[in-house]
Amino acid sequence: MRRYIARRAAAFAATLFFVSALVFVVVRVLPGDPALVIIGPEGSPEAAARLREALGLNRPIAVQYGEWLARALRGDLGVSLQYDVPVGRLILSRLPVTIPLTLMAAALMTTAALPLGLYAARRHRRAGDYLAMLVSQIGIAVPGFWAGLLLILLFSVHLGWVESGGFAGWSSGLWPGVRSLLLPAFALGLFQTAVLVRATRSSVLDVLGEDYVRTARAKGVSELSVLGKHTLRNAMIPIATVAGLQLGQLMAGAIILESVFALPGLGRLVLGAITARDLPLVQGVILFVASTIVLINFVVDLLYGVLDPRIRYD
Amino acid sequence: MLAALALGLIVSPGAAPAQNLVVQVTTEPPGLDLTATPASATAGVVLYNVQECLVKVDRHGKIVPWLADRWHTSDDRNYTFFLKRGVRFHNGRELRAADVKFVFDRAMNPETKHPYPGYYSAISDIIVKDDYTITFTLKTPTANFLLNLARQGSVIYPREAVDTLKSEPIGTGPFKLAEWVRGDRIVLVKNPDYHVKGLPKLDRVTYRFIADPNAALAALKAGDIDATMFGLGPEHVPELQKDSRFQVILGETTNDVILSMNNSRKPYADVRVRRAVTHGINKPDVVKGAMFGLGRVLGTNVDPLNPYFVDMAGAVPYDPARAKRLLADAGYPNGFETVLRVSPQYAYSIRTGEVLTDQLQKIGVKVRIEQIEWSQWLSRVWKDAEYDLTIIGHAEAWDIGNYANPKYYFRYDNADFQKLFKESETTVDDRARRALYVKMQRKLVEDAPVVWLYIYPRLAVTKKGLQGVWKDLPLPANDLSEVAWAK
Repeated sequence: MRRYIARRAAAFAATLFFVSALVFVVVRVLPGDPALVIIGPEGSPEAAARLREALGLNRPIAVQYGEWLARALRGDLGVSLQYDVPVGRLILSRLPVTIPLTLMAAALMTTAALPLGLYAARRHRRAGDYLAMLVSQIGIAVPGFWAGLLLILLFSVHLGWVESGGFAGWSSGLWPGVRSLLLPAFALGLFQTAVLVRATRSSVLDVLGEDYVRTARAKGVSELSVLGKHTLRNAMIPIATVAGLQLGQLMAGAIILESVFALPGLGRLVLGAITARDLPLVQGVILFVASTIVLINFVVDLLYGVLDPRIRYD
Repeated sequence: MLAALALGLIVSPGAAPAQNLVVQVTTEPPGLDLTATPASATAGVVLYNVQECLVKVDRHGKIVPWLADRWHTSDDRNYTFFLKRGVRFHNGRELRAADVKFVFDRAMNPETKHPYPGYYSAISDIIVKDDYTITFTLKTPTANFLLNLARQGSVIYPREAVDTLKSEPIGTGPFKLAEWVRGDRIVLVKNPDYHVKGLPKLDRVTYRFIADPNAALAALKAGDIDATMFGLGPEHVPELQKDSRFQVILGETTNDVILSMNNSRKPYADVRVRRAVTHGINKPDVVKGAMFGLGRVLGTNVDPLNPYFVDMAGAVPYDPARAKRLLADAGYPNGFETVLRVSPQYAYSIRTGEVLTDQLQKIGVKVRIEQIEWSQWLSRVWKDAEYDLTIIGHAEAWDIGNYANPKYYFRYDNADFQKLFKESETTVDDRARRALYVKMQRKLVEDAPVVWLYIYPRLAVTKKGLQGVWKDLPLPANDLSEVAWAK
């Protein structure tokens, strides 16, 4: 187990190094100049040139990357070119929005998808199955941003139950914060829920055809026990794999949804940073997201051992 | 989820207190230091609300005394300003002439990287006579000197706050910065010690950053915001004008939307081609098609809020037959193919491009629209002039000098025009200067370096009952000092 963790830690570091180098080069190679974006067309190219020099953007890419890496290794992700605020502080300030948003969407995804997928598999080729598949098909077909706008129209404009966007913050209490995130979490989780319903149904259907399920039923084991103990647990490994990947996709989906709902989260931060070519900020956010995804995958790998005790990490 | 939403009924947001205002803005300012960024998003929040200048451009475009009670000049070279007494910065300290000197010395210092050093290049000396009197000496008479002192780069701040201007600007304005939650909102609160009695009328102003126009519209209809000053497009106007809950404020701006032709590239280096393109465009139809009929057709660079505006909208009429003749004379009897580079950052530029593509096709100019990201547009089009055609709005007031700069992305290089402009900059006599502006505008119409299409309208939508919002925008400011809810 120790060797396995050491191997994973080394892979983690290598992934981050690779991602950071890739992002650095890609953002620098793209046409576009952070100084020009900051100055805008209201300023002059001369002012942009002065700013570029002040920001140290005239130096060779390798030198800039080397300096950034040395600082990053000491835990300093640099200062945002747009905001003139440390990148670490900016990322931390956005986590109280993005993490709960992603977790709420993930909660919706798992609590809705597992029972629905199980139900569809149990009612295979019957009306319940077709209905569940129709619902999931709609979930896959409707883009998140459009679902978001429809939800705003219904719940904010027509019914007036919740605000149309923005984040109330956690300082005013748990409920105002949760309420600000309900619609975006629903819109964000919709697609992934639909995907997970299908994955669950297909995985459970496979297991339901296994001999040991037939044996359990022949022994007179209750249907609830057949489904819960014998079927779902054995079907969980592919489901956990899909769900783990989906958590990463939820973070990516937050980029669009945070813009639609005007939420001050990580997704909107990185979108603005890419548009403004705010390299330290793009770099910092991508590294953070990459680290989170690598960690989620690691947790999913460990979960395999819990779900199936036959799996060992030696 | 639905149950949780239903619970929202019980704990629904309370009605805003009487004199609070929530305004939507599309773009978050890149920083709040007006002496470091020329961004109009920054000016929209800070200028005249948090920080002020010695003089001010009022809602009618007139320069009026502000932090300076009055000024005096006998020779157009020495300007003496008499500061208003008892004006306090937000940190409680009184404004003194030494602060003004510090601000302008710093602006003129190349090391501070002020975005508009040209505004102050004519200043040769600044002398503090006493705590409330300061004299500026100019190298030569400068016609726009007072105007430049009223613009966003010339805000007065206390010298002890210079290092924190970017995130915590301090000034003498009617509002103080309360908080800036990056990515979400900026909150201003009333300055109780404001030097103008009875102002501001609002207690609190919240700027919410909502980039998506559909989300902004939904927020307005849901009552989450009280006003949107720049965020909605003309496509939203007909619907909102019918809605009794809102008032739509339509006015003039200094934002002239142009079709720029790269004057250094073939075929646009030939004035006949540029004139042909101008004759090939039916501007009223462009305004109808791209702007839902909102916006004034424009004939030259000078906008209607400028005192030297001359209406030249009809100077080069829509005449496709003449356009074809001009193209044939220039050696393009069958027209030519060209690329229009626009950025989806500004929806109007895409819509305008689509209408123009159709119109120019009729004179044989086949336009291919290429959409590029905003930062690419800035690098490739604006900085490096790598383009044939582009469409953009120029929001700056008094920007005719762009045409006197051969390095500007139009690449228009005309010695006669440059001479006229130089003369206009040092001509202080109003009649003589007006004559020069008329000449410059005629010269521009004749040379057609770009096609001036229309003025992007001032388009603000607020809940009914909000009063005092500026109808016209003679400069990119969003002065809220006189705004209030009707009692």
